[in-house]
Amino acid sequence: MDVILDALSQVFTLKVLGIMAASALYGLMVGAIPGLTATLAVALMVPITFFMDPVPAIAAIVTMAAMAIFAGDLPAVLLRMPGTPASAAYTDQAYRFTQAGRGEYILGISACTSAIGGSIGVLALMFGAPLLARFALNFSSFEYFWLATLGLTAAIMVGGTQVSRSAVSLLLGLLVASVGIDPVSGETRFTFGSDALLGGFGFIPVIIGLFAVAEILRYCTRSVSERELPQVPQQPLYWRALCDALRHKLGILRGSVTGTLIGALPGAGADIAAYIAYAMGRRHRGATATDEGAVAQIAPATAANNAAVGGSFIPATVFGIPGDSLTAIVIGVLLMKGLNPGPTIFTDNASMINAVFLAFLLANLMLIPFGFLSVRLFKQVLRIPQGLLMPSILLFAMVGAYAVENSLFAVVTILVFGVLGFLLEENDFPLAPMILGIVLGPLLEETFVTSMMRSNGSFLAFFERPVSLTLALITAAVWLAPPLLRLWREHRTPRPALTD
Amino acid sequence: MPKTLKNRLSRGLRAGVRAAAVVLSLAALPAFAAEWPTRPVTIVVPAGAGGGSDGTARILSKYLKEEFGQQFNVLNLGQGGGVVGINRIVNAEPDGYTLGVLFNFAHYKEMGQADFTLDDFTPIAQYNFDPAGFQVRDDSPFKTVNQALDAIKADPAKYTIACAGGCGGSWPVAVATLLDRWGVDLAKVRMIPGQGAAAAMQDLAAGGVDFVPSSLPEADAMLRTGTVRSLAVFGPERQENFPDVPSLKEATGLELELGSFRGLVAPAGLPDDIRAKLEAAMKAIYANPEWQADMKARGFNPQWRDSEAFADYLKQHTADVQALFAKMDL
Repeated sequence: MDVILDALSQVFTLKVLGIMAASALYGLMVGAIPGLTATLAVALMVPITFFMDPVPAIAAIVTMAAMAIFAGDLPAVLLRMPGTPASAAYTDQAYRFTQAGRGEYILGISACTSAIGGSIGVLALMFGAPLLARFALNFSSFEYFWLATLGLTAAIMVGGTQVSRSAVSLLLGLLVASVGIDPVSGETRFTFGSDALLGGFGFIPVIIGLFAVAEILRYCTRSVSERELPQVPQQPLYWRALCDALRHKLGILRGSVTGTLIGALPGAGADIAAYIAYAMGRRHRGATATDEGAVAQIAPATAANNAAVGGSFIPATVFGIPGDSLTAIVIGVLLMKGLNPGPTIFTDNASMINAVFLAFLLANLMLIPFGFLSVRLFKQVLRIPQGLLMPSILLFAMVGAYAVENSLFAVVTILVFGVLGFLLEENDFPLAPMILGIVLGPLLEETFVTSMMRSNGSFLAFFERPVSLTLALITAAVWLAPPLLRLWREHRTPRPALTD
Repeated sequence: MPKTLKNRLSRGLRAGVRAAAVVLSLAALPAFAAEWPTRPVTIVVPAGAGGGSDGTARILSKYLKEEFGQQFNVLNLGQGGGVVGINRIVNAEPDGYTLGVLFNFAHYKEMGQADFTLDDFTPIAQYNFDPAGFQVRDDSPFKTVNQALDAIKADPAKYTIACAGGCGGSWPVAVATLLDRWGVDLAKVRMIPGQGAAAAMQDLAAGGVDFVPSSLPEADAMLRTGTVRSLAVFGPERQENFPDVPSLKEATGLELELGSFRGLVAPAGLPDDIRAKLEAAMKAIYANPEWQADMKARGFNPQWRDSEAFADYLKQHTADVQALFAKMDL
């Protein structure tokens, strides 16, 4: 108890709270601009943290990360341009609310679920970190292979009703991911002798191109009269969003747990968590067209991506294993501040690490007021005439792409993928599966090939370890259950099947 | 007066010519000193933000700024496992405004990923060397590195060794060099590529591989949890922060120093006076106890080689890697 009180006194100082508020605004701004990611925001802030005490330094980083993941939803919902990859899964469905004038409402839901999901992630970090870290240590390449397979299955399920179109989009994503140096043998593939392609297509430029640039192209193809139309006015943010979010308790809890667990696995992060949680929601409710059904699907996913941020700190603090580039930077800062990650961090520096966790928890709770505030501010972009807004977004997209990759090739990438995204959308191919294909392609390939190398070419090894067998069975069940259920139903009621 | 220039000139030149050269170069120095650096300098790091190379570069940029009064900006280009970043250094103008952090690089050419060689760089100074540690899971039957090496020699195909990244990187090459010395048939050894040291350590704990080579700081957290053990550190003596890990020399008697180096380089053709200025600045930084403390706080092991020694070292590195790749089956 003394530890907690001591930790509280370290967090609730004017200085720490002030720094957290400033970082929150910074994180919201960065996350809301398509192309600028939480990682970039943190990397830019590291030199400043050198001059801070450990608690405010890390409080600043976690606040910023939590805000940036939520803020990715702002352009995703209002402009159909996800600010961070973690928002890509449900962008389409959420944008439909904006078209109906209810964008603020869905963002309100997102702020609440993000706060809940994020808090659950942090609580898991505070009380279950050693246990969950042990769980994560069971994952070798065999388990990651099945996780990647599950992820790809989820990608198909989020794509929409037409499985074949989702599959095409997913395969395109896998193809894009295979450009560059092969992760296993180091051979170069599909580079056509170009140095720029050696590193493959940068993920951030691709996602900016597919969503933001494609959206701009779509705007350009509209007739002049359509372009002049004001955008749909947004109904004010309901405080009802808060209550409504709570109505999906089970879904949010499911999303948060999924997010925490996936986040705790090094190498799997907020984006995969959001997809899997979204796919689970979709399965749960079926592809419902009602608002209620849509909220039931989106809520778990927005909870999951924020829960994953807390989850990713579990292996980082317990074993010093970074789950993603963001936690890699945080580990660097922890080391710099003399807080050596490891299980002893919970005993050696108990009050300090608890102060960090409390700040993390507080950051997630701050999501509700700051989130609501940012929604009010950000929706003003919808009042900007589109003729001004679209070119500005293009400029931000280009600068953002360049900033991430430090190369002009990234700017070319966003333009090429902008055209590709536009063409795909015009022909009713969903983009979400493609994004996850690009994220999971390298993981799938590497884990498959290295697993085969380990087992000397025996496929059985994929089913020999307990966790890997469980994941394999879940994957098989997800694949086989729907057709089997349909067969069974047709068998039971020998009536002509309903057409969908 | 730059030391290396002096060394080079002393070879076979008469004293009079040498004195004239000294006077000339001294006269030339102030003119250039006013000119370089007049604008911010870019340090290309061929690795992503947050990793080891990035960490050392960011520490270095802070001190270089103090030395020269100009901004030294770190540019991360980690695409293609470092190839893209190193190509950026190689292809930059050798005007002193693009520098780079170079680490073990000879394998890129051997693996057909790039065609840069030693001649494409102007070595300035080496500032860091991290010897490889050799880790096993806690329940491993091996208590000493000798037992492990003997077992691998007896049946090379039985064990898996993580590469902690691509299989041409510094850690797998360090292990392969040692195995080669031990008389192991390298063509039969099973090296498993992966996503860097952190992922490899995780895989070791999960039972995916038998051995993981990585720097000791990279294994630190897991060493302290008792999940893994380090059999040896590949250098002549124990590391300050890891007094329990025996050195390769005391365990096996082999005089080997294997691991990963980092140094500051420029593109080939950097004017000698700029190189000399940078080298002198690096020497001053290396001697600065604050820099030493910053490096050690992040777990980096400082090691000094001046421009000429670094060039020789790179030559040796290239030759070693070429010889090794001829024996390895990748």
